[in-house]
Amino acid sequence: MINFLTSLREKWRANRWVRRTAVILSVFGPATIAAMADNDAGGVATYSIAGATLGYPILFPLLIITFLLAVTQEMGMRLTLVTRRGLADLIREKYGVKVSLFIFVGLMIANLGTITTEVSAIRTVSGMLNIPATPFVIGMLLIAFVFITKGNYKLTQSIMLVVSLFYVTYIISAVKANPDWSLALSNLVYPNGVSWTSKYLVSYLVIGMGVLGTTITPWGQFFISSFAFDKKMDKDTLKYSQFETYWGALLTDFFSFFMIVATAAALNSHGYGVGGIQLQSGEQAALAIRPFAGELASELFAVGLLAAAFMGLVIVPLSTAYAFSEFFGLSGSLDTDFQKSKTFYILFIVQLVVAALITTIPGISLFHFAIATQTLNAMILPLVFFYLIKLTSSKKLMGLHVNNSFQKNFTTAASVFIVIASVFTVAAIVLKW
Amino acid sequence: MAFISELIGRPVTDYDGTRIGVLKDLIARTYAEFSHPVVDAIIVHGSDGDITLPYSDLAALLSAAIPLKRPAVDIPKYESRESDIRLVEDVLDQQIIDTDDARVVRVNDIELVRVNGNVVISNVDIGVLGIMRRIGLEKLGRWAAQRFKADLSEGTISWEFVEPLTHDQSMRLKVPAEKLADLHPSDIAEIISNLSRAEHGEILHKLDIKQLAETLEEVEPDFQASIIEHFSDETMADVLEEMSPDEATDLLAELPDARRQDLLKLMETEEADEVRELLRYEEDTAGGLMTTEYVSVLPNMNAAQTIEHLRKVGEEAELVYYVYVTDEEERLIGVFSLSDLIIAQPETPITEFMHKRVVSVELDTEQNEIAQIVAKYNLIAVPVVDSENRMHGIVTSDDALDKILPTAWKKRLPHFFGALE
Repeated sequence: MINFLTSLREKWRANRWVRRTAVILSVFGPATIAAMADNDAGGVATYSIAGATLGYPILFPLLIITFLLAVTQEMGMRLTLVTRRGLADLIREKYGVKVSLFIFVGLMIANLGTITTEVSAIRTVSGMLNIPATPFVIGMLLIAFVFITKGNYKLTQSIMLVVSLFYVTYIISAVKANPDWSLALSNLVYPNGVSWTSKYLVSYLVIGMGVLGTTITPWGQFFISSFAFDKKMDKDTLKYSQFETYWGALLTDFFSFFMIVATAAALNSHGYGVGGIQLQSGEQAALAIRPFAGELASELFAVGLLAAAFMGLVIVPLSTAYAFSEFFGLSGSLDTDFQKSKTFYILFIVQLVVAALITTIPGISLFHFAIATQTLNAMILPLVFFYLIKLTSSKKLMGLHVNNSFQKNFTTAASVFIVIASVFTVAAIVLKW
Repeated sequence: MAFISELIGRPVTDYDGTRIGVLKDLIARTYAEFSHPVVDAIIVHGSDGDITLPYSDLAALLSAAIPLKRPAVDIPKYESRESDIRLVEDVLDQQIIDTDDARVVRVNDIELVRVNGNVVISNVDIGVLGIMRRIGLEKLGRWAAQRFKADLSEGTISWEFVEPLTHDQSMRLKVPAEKLADLHPSDIAEIISNLSRAEHGEILHKLDIKQLAETLEEVEPDFQASIIEHFSDETMADVLEEMSPDEATDLLAELPDARRQDLLKLMETEEADEVRELLRYEEDTAGGLMTTEYVSVLPNMNAAQTIEHLRKVGEEAELVYYVYVTDEEERLIGVFSLSDLIIAQPETPITEFMHKRVVSVELDTEQNEIAQIVAKYNLIAVPVVDSENRMHGIVTSDDALDKILPTAWKKRLPHFFGALE
């Protein structure tokens, strides 16, 4: 990573912002991976719609969400480092087949939703770049498939770099747009500066759930634990790993913060609020990075969104497949290598194809998909948290590294709150409040 | 025959028919004379907590209700032993090593049979049908299997071939060394790649230097680096000497500079020098892929002398199938195969039957190209020469094709996420 960035730095010596990003990334290390993987196309779309529709007040839940992300990711990491087993392994071993199947189905539905959003983002990009949608989508799905089967370091690095540079454009745009910083920052502490109409409250609830679901994902909980399982980490590095997860959470939402501020500054105060213009196209969302990109805003947004979507398209189906093998342990022996891969390939292809078919439903934009699927993600979270909290609170399993009362109470309270918020969200949607 | 998933939850009744509770777990013991553990007691979940009752006091176990032979109050407390296996807690849903097929699998169900008045663990179910049974869809599973003509027997393995991985806090791993020693190194490699670090450490420590070297040769390079952290520098130096120089080089190339130098210093001079030479080349070129352990002879020898020579040096070589003919300055002038050599009369000079047009690659030839050459000419190995045609080593076909053939997806995942480090 550092070598790669050094060479990049030399090539772009003249270009200050590339150089700065490179330095930032080389310092962040593995936390960057987790952070980047969290902010996929669904994230970009959700934060865009949050900033555009609600303005700065949506920054308030972001701070709490960051905190919850840090605490839950740390729990998952600690669980695996102490027990030497993945989250899915433990759920299966402690709670049996039925619970495993239940959670796997939940995870699969959530993931399918997220993949749908990624495919929808690819469609949006095709529209923005004037490329015929169907061949473009099929082409990208094929590339994703080849990418998974062959795996490629260089391409992974390039995609992650494009995505992170894309996020940096939001930071610069946010600064250049001259937003009301005191309003933005005060909203991190308490929501203010808007009139709390019932319509605004409903949007606040639904989109707030979307922001939660895109920042903290069910698959992310399984990802962090398999990440810790595969990496060369042990109990002795527990303190360092904890710092690492906090740092990753902070980084993820550092980008999210600027994304919301940039869209709020560019769109919310220009007629996009609740009851105003609806954010529906990529071109509209691209207005947020106009202060930086100028006339090229749409093109840059399209490329950034495509990279973010591609990343999600690869990682999210992989996490389904990985969790499946952990839950049900259907690995083959050496001589049935094909059999073993077959389950994986089928799982992978089915997810992509189903997602692609869902996106052919006419009249639903990326932003609709994003809010719907990320809200669904959020609703499935308490289910995963329940077992995560139960496992990390087990003295028998965790020994000295069992949850302290704050970790247990905070996450339990958050889960209860998410369940209540989910009920209200469903009610709001069904009853058309 | 019964499955544990069906037994658990069945009512247990006292001598007078009153209900004590439901069956929660079975305790099995292993006896030296049986290869299968025998059920020795049951754990009943009652209103006052769990009670353990010996099997000898049960009127029946594999029945719809489990009645006792004498009143529960008369039954003495069950003395548990260290070697007791709790089937639900220790085995069901856990990972086990299937030593017959050399793989790590998960137990979906456990099959019990009655033998001479005892109940014995016969098989563990690791198949889809076991999962279906657990969620109450066994009939659907059987129907689907019949419909699609799937073989259901493959889902179970006999207890003889099972080694439970006990996941308690101290991470004891009960894999007997002799069972491991019987496995092929690539099977051991497959098993440890499915385990966590602490667990594969336990397995590796049971291997001797030669087995360890062979196992290391079979695993992916970045995984090798994590494995060797379990061992002292002295042990690793011995292992590296045992490995073929090209594999040892690949491993060392993955390590930090300081550790690599330390290990090279601890190795025997001869082996260390070979590795140092190989380390100079790019990993994906002929120089990086080649091994220096090949057999070469001078052109003035005859067939009988060559065979004699092979008997002496063959032990050291990675591949003796090809014998290369080089002059005093190690310039490659010919090659012949073992079959050429054996068919020839003993006194025939080798120059008479050697092939003079030798297909070779240069030190900097890339792996893709080597793979193509190996495939095109159907070679088992290809010699590596420098610009002056001096021979430096051979690349075997498995090394040439290694990275070009796709491997299982699971190994990709760590690669993918580890890419940025």
